[in-house]
Amino acid sequence: MQSPLKAYPRANGAWGLRNHVLILPLHSALSAPARKTADASRGAVSISHDWSGEKDSDLARILFTLTGYAANPNNYATIFLTIGSPEEQAIIDGAQSLGLERFTTISLAQSGSMEKLHQEALTVAHEYLDAARKVERVPAPWSAIVLGLECGGSDALSGITANPALGVASDRLVELGATSVLGETTEILGAEHLLAARAIDPEVGKRIVAMVARYEASINYEGIDIRGAQPSRGNIEGGLSTLEEKSLGAAKKAGNAPLTGVLEFGERPTTPGLYFMDTPGHDIEQLAGFGAGHINVVVFTSGRGTPTGSAIMPTIKVSTNTPMYQSIPDLIDLDAGTIADGIETLAEVGARIFDEIVHVANGKLTRAEQGGHHEFALSRMYKTVVR
Amino acid sequence: MAIQGFDHGNRGVGIRHHQLILPSVVCSTHVSRRIANQVGAVTFAHQHGCGIIGEDVAGIDNFFVALADHPNVNSVLAVGLGCETIQSQELAAKLLARNESTQYRIIQESGGVEGTVAAGVKAANELSASYPKQQAALSQLRIGIDKGRAVAELDALVALLEKSGAEVVTAESPESSAETFSRLAEAKAHLIISFPGDFQPASGFPLIPVINVAGTGPLHQATAGDFDIQESNLLGEILGLVDAVAQGAETIAERNQSGEIRAPRVVRSV
Repeated sequence: MQSPLKAYPRANGAWGLRNHVLILPLHSALSAPARKTADASRGAVSISHDWSGEKDSDLARILFTLTGYAANPNNYATIFLTIGSPEEQAIIDGAQSLGLERFTTISLAQSGSMEKLHQEALTVAHEYLDAARKVERVPAPWSAIVLGLECGGSDALSGITANPALGVASDRLVELGATSVLGETTEILGAEHLLAARAIDPEVGKRIVAMVARYEASINYEGIDIRGAQPSRGNIEGGLSTLEEKSLGAAKKAGNAPLTGVLEFGERPTTPGLYFMDTPGHDIEQLAGFGAGHINVVVFTSGRGTPTGSAIMPTIKVSTNTPMYQSIPDLIDLDAGTIADGIETLAEVGARIFDEIVHVANGKLTRAEQGGHHEFALSRMYKTVVR
Repeated sequence: MAIQGFDHGNRGVGIRHHQLILPSVVCSTHVSRRIANQVGAVTFAHQHGCGIIGEDVAGIDNFFVALADHPNVNSVLAVGLGCETIQSQELAAKLLARNESTQYRIIQESGGVEGTVAAGVKAANELSASYPKQQAALSQLRIGIDKGRAVAELDALVALLEKSGAEVVTAESPESSAETFSRLAEAKAHLIISFPGDFQPASGFPLIPVINVAGTGPLHQATAGDFDIQESNLLGEILGLVDAVAQGAETIAERNQSGEIRAPRVVRSV
C-alpha cells in the first residue's frame, strides 16, 4: 500500500509529524516564564516540571528524559531556558547529538531577570514560528510513523474492544514498515511470557522477562506488593479483578506482530518493528518517556476517560465503551465501544483507528491538541526527600 | 508589628486572600489552570496523585490537605479526574472536615473538559461569594526561612524577627528551595524568606509570598532584578520589607507567578 503520509523530514532520518517550537525549561523555576512565553507566542509549546538541578540518584534518568524530549522529531526547534549549570549544558549537547537541528539557549544569568528571559524567549519563539510555518510537508514513507501505545483508566471492556482494535491498527502499521512501541511495565506484569514468545530472537525474549522481573523487584524492595496497588481502584470499579487480567488486556494493544526489541525508559528505537519500552503505568510519566524515545504519535485507550495529552506528540484517545464516549465527548477522538454493542467488528474499528492515525500524522488535530493539553511528569525511581 | 490580615475561619488569619484550585492529580492540572485563570484564583502544576504506592498515598494526600488548610487560603475547589489513586471526593471530604469553604468537581462526572471548566468556574464563584474578604488582626506572623546556603547573619536575623513578635520556622536543603518550601508550607508559614543556594535562582511558591535574598555569587548578582533584597542590606531592610509584604505588597516572585510544587515523595511511582 502506497504511503499517503506527508511529514517533515529531519536531518537524522527521522520524520516530524508536527513542526513544534518547544520552550523547554531546564530548571523548575523557569517553568513559569516558559509557560508565559508559550501562551504569549500563540503557537509555541512548553512543559512544566519540578527538577531544580538536584543531583540525586535520579539525575541520569532526568537528564536522559529531557535530552531525548528536546530532540523529538516533532520539534522544529527547541528554546532551552537555563540557569547556566553544567548539567543543563549536557542536555543541550546531548540533544544536538540526537539530531536536534535548531535550538537557542537563553540563560537567566545573561538575561538578567525572569522577565527579560521571557521577553528574549518570546522574540526567538516568534522567529522560529515564522520560519516553521513556511516549511511544507513532503511525501513520507510508512517508516515515518513511530507510534506509542498507551492505556489509562482501564475497565472490563479494555481488553475486548479498544485494546485489541488498537492491536489491529498497530499490526498493520508494523507490517507496512512503521514502528510501534508498547509501554507500561506495570501493565504487562503477568503477560510478559506472551510477549517473550513473540520475540524475534531468544535474546529479546529473555530481556523482556528480565525487565519485568527487575521492575517487580524494585517495587518489592520498597516492601510493597504491586498486586495490592494494581489494578487501581478505578480499574476495579470498571470491572477488572486482578493485575493479570488487566495485563492480558493491556498487552493486546500490541496486536500479534513479532517483538523486535526492548527499550529502556526514553530510549529510541533505531529500526522499524514492534518494541516494548520499560515505563511506569503513570500515564503522564509514560508520555514523557515516549517523547524522549522519539515517538511522534500516540494512541491512548481509556475506559474511564482522560483529558491528558502531550506538548509535542499528538495523542489520539479511544474509548472502550460508548456510555463514556457519550458522557465526556470532548476528551475522546474515537469510540471502540461499538464492538461490545455488536455494531462494528474488531477489524472495522481497527481500520478506523488506522485511518485516524494517518489523518493525525498528516496534520489533523486531536482533541487533546485542540484543548491545549500538555501535562508532563518526570519519572523518578527514588525518593525525592529524606524525612 | 500590627498586621491586618484576612479571617479564614479554621485556617486562621492569613496575609493573602487566595482561592486555591487544587488539582488532585496531574491529569486535572490543565483544567484547573483554565478555571483559575477565569476566576483569578491560584493553582499549580504537579505530577502527583496517581501511580503512587505505599506510604506516598497517604503522604501526598496529607500534603495536599496541608496546602488547602493554609491560612493564606480563603476557599478551595478540588478538581479530580475520577479514576486516580487520590480520589478527589475523598480528598474533598478531608478538606471539608476542616473547612466548609470547600467544593470539588470531577472531570469524568462533569461532562469532560468544557463541562468541568464551566462547572468549576461556577463553583469557584459561589465559594468567593459565600466567603468574602473579612479583615482581621493577625496576632502572630509565622515566617519560614529557607536556608539554601550558609548565611552569616542568620542568628541575628532570627533574633530580629522574633523580637518584632514573629514566630520563625527554619528549613534547610542542600539541593533546592522547592523541598524546603513544601516543608514550610506544611508548617503553615504565612511568608517565606528564601536564601537560595548560590547556583539556584530566585523562586516562589503558590499561596505564600516569598522574599528572595540575593547572595554575592555571580548568578544572584547577574539576576539582581529577581531578588527583593541583597544580603548585604539584610538586617537593615528586612523588617520594613516583611511588614510591607505582610500588608499586601507583592514580592517579585508573586509578580512573576513563579513556583512549581514538589510534593515530598518516598517511593518510586508505578
